[in-house]
Amino acid sequence: MKFLFIAFFLLLSNSISSAIGAPCGDYGECDSFKPQLNNMESMQLGALTFINHCYGCHSLKYSRWGRISKDLDIPEEIFTNNLVFGKNVKLGDRMTGSMQPNVSETWFGIAPPDLTLVTRLHGSDWVYTYLRTFYEDSSKPYGVNNMVYPGAAMPNVLASMQGQQILSCKDVPIIASNGGVRRDELGNNITEEKCGYLKTIKGSGSMSVEEFDEVIFNLVNFMTYVGEPSRADRERMGWYVILFFIVFTAFAYLLFREYQKDYH
Amino acid sequence: MTQKASGVFNWLNHRLPIVNTYERHLSKHPVPKKVNFWYMFGALASVVLIIQIVSGIWLMFGYENTEEGAFASVEYIMRDIEYGWIIRYMHTTGASMFFAVVYLHMFRGLLYGSYHKPRELVWVFGMTIYLVMMAEGFLGYVLPYGQMSYWGAQVIISLFGAIPYIGESLEIWVRGDYYISGATISRFFALHVVALPLILIALVFMHLVALHEVGAGNPEGVDIEKHVDENGVPLDSVPFFPYKVLNALVAIGIFGIVFSIIMFFFPEGGGYMLELANFEEANPLSTPEHIAPVWYYSPYYAMLRAVPDKLGGLVVMGAAIAILFVVPWLDRSKAASIRYKGVLSKIAMTIFVISWIMLAWLGTVPVTALRTTLSIIGTIIYFSFFLLMPIYTSIETSKPVPERL
Repeated sequence: MKFLFIAFFLLLSNSISSAIGAPCGDYGECDSFKPQLNNMESMQLGALTFINHCYGCHSLKYSRWGRISKDLDIPEEIFTNNLVFGKNVKLGDRMTGSMQPNVSETWFGIAPPDLTLVTRLHGSDWVYTYLRTFYEDSSKPYGVNNMVYPGAAMPNVLASMQGQQILSCKDVPIIASNGGVRRDELGNNITEEKCGYLKTIKGSGSMSVEEFDEVIFNLVNFMTYVGEPSRADRERMGWYVILFFIVFTAFAYLLFREYQKDYH
Repeated sequence: MTQKASGVFNWLNHRLPIVNTYERHLSKHPVPKKVNFWYMFGALASVVLIIQIVSGIWLMFGYENTEEGAFASVEYIMRDIEYGWIIRYMHTTGASMFFAVVYLHMFRGLLYGSYHKPRELVWVFGMTIYLVMMAEGFLGYVLPYGQMSYWGAQVIISLFGAIPYIGESLEIWVRGDYYISGATISRFFALHVVALPLILIALVFMHLVALHEVGAGNPEGVDIEKHVDENGVPLDSVPFFPYKVLNALVAIGIFGIVFSIIMFFFPEGGGYMLELANFEEANPLSTPEHIAPVWYYSPYYAMLRAVPDKLGGLVVMGAAIAILFVVPWLDRSKAASIRYKGVLSKIAMTIFVISWIMLAWLGTVPVTALRTTLSIIGTIIYFSFFLLMPIYTSIETSKPVPERL
């Protein structure tokens, strides 16, 4: 009886939850992103990309310069000379950005948001997909639109690396109701033209698709770190605490069993 | 030296009932010798209460109760205070775990009839604790002042506005302003860290004093006081210390494992414990797409949304909590434990649990027509379980309860 109810409930919940919208907008499911918070090189390269290409507009106002230099193993001198712009900036300062919000609002219509917590707010998957899905759209003020966040008020800052990305159409097989591919009498797949696929024009950017994906991976890896700088520590320490409780439970159980003999 | 120490101890003991209290509540306090894991959640709830109080004090060291500073101060705790993140995750995980163990503790009460005579008052004190906890959780949720803090508070405080005649003034009185602002944060802060914890501790004390007066129940629903030895100690009991303390230690160890797995590896609880929208500072000009409460309020939120009228929804939600207080007088069964109750009680309990879980899920997802219908069905089942209890518990035949444990 109980199981029948549970089975019914599960079935129902499954069919209902599938109605929720896709997490990455027009793109559908986000591309998966697995952060590598112990990969210092990746996070260092990501920090470089962030400071050079993002920090002009976006702040990281809850984070401090010195913390990043320390956590990412970048010697202070190299860090100060290459990543910290501004003579009055001290390593203990917060990364409040270089643009005045009231000015930028008149320029862009909206002040570029602070990005310290963006990977926690939307998820790293979302940011990773968002940064790779700009496409040319002449109807927009910056000539680009975004699949994950249609109408985004942000230019494709990294276009010189990625090159021109456009929406294209292609022939895709028609899937029959039984889940198989529909075929004609001769056994050939029946196809239909579908649009809305991203396509990068070869040679239009300074990098190949794989190289560009890696740049974005490093960038999002760094942003994931900034979102929660203690995360690597947290996951490392967690194992020891759990181990402690396992040992604690084992001894508590042995003691409990010994005393239980008194009344069993 | 020992003589001196015992001299000091005697001096103290003549002025403070140390030995008496220790014997009455620990070393000689009789508890049923056979209980199962369901009886561990009370001890775990007190462990979580201590975690919340201690971590809460530490959070206060870094928290700033102003409109401008609240959100940033939480990030300050997370980043600039050494191990501040542990303290904060302990508190956020603790909040969810508090409700988890209290829900299981309450379910144990329903399952084994822990509210049966003479434990009615223990149940009522417990329910009052639960009510205060809900208020405490809500107030604490507003303090980080993220988007969900702001809009969640907006939804909840606007409920007061649904009360006829005094609603609007009451709403302003609760907020301390015409809209949610620094005034709201600082009063919520005072209530969250001083007023409600004081009440909570007092209630927990009363809950335990009342429990120790009537004695703990057991899964069989056997009255262990019926068979006592020449000293009046129940034959089916063991002293609380050390036997039940050791029992609790095992439970605390297992709980520690679960708690650490969540706290160190899934502190956001998939967005159900720390809602992702709350990683953005409160913005009165932009409403989040989907406002959902944290999981432990969601069954009531589903009930609130099931009723189209705001005041009606508020009444239903209030009634859903109020009805829990009178359970001791709704259950007419001769047997306390579900083990000896009739088949009707068993069916009712099963349907109740399923509908409660369904409501909890419905409260976290956006509304659709089908989901609203399901919420209405769930709400009807929730109330039927309690309102029909006097009927189905009196017409069913329960099995005889054994004499001994």
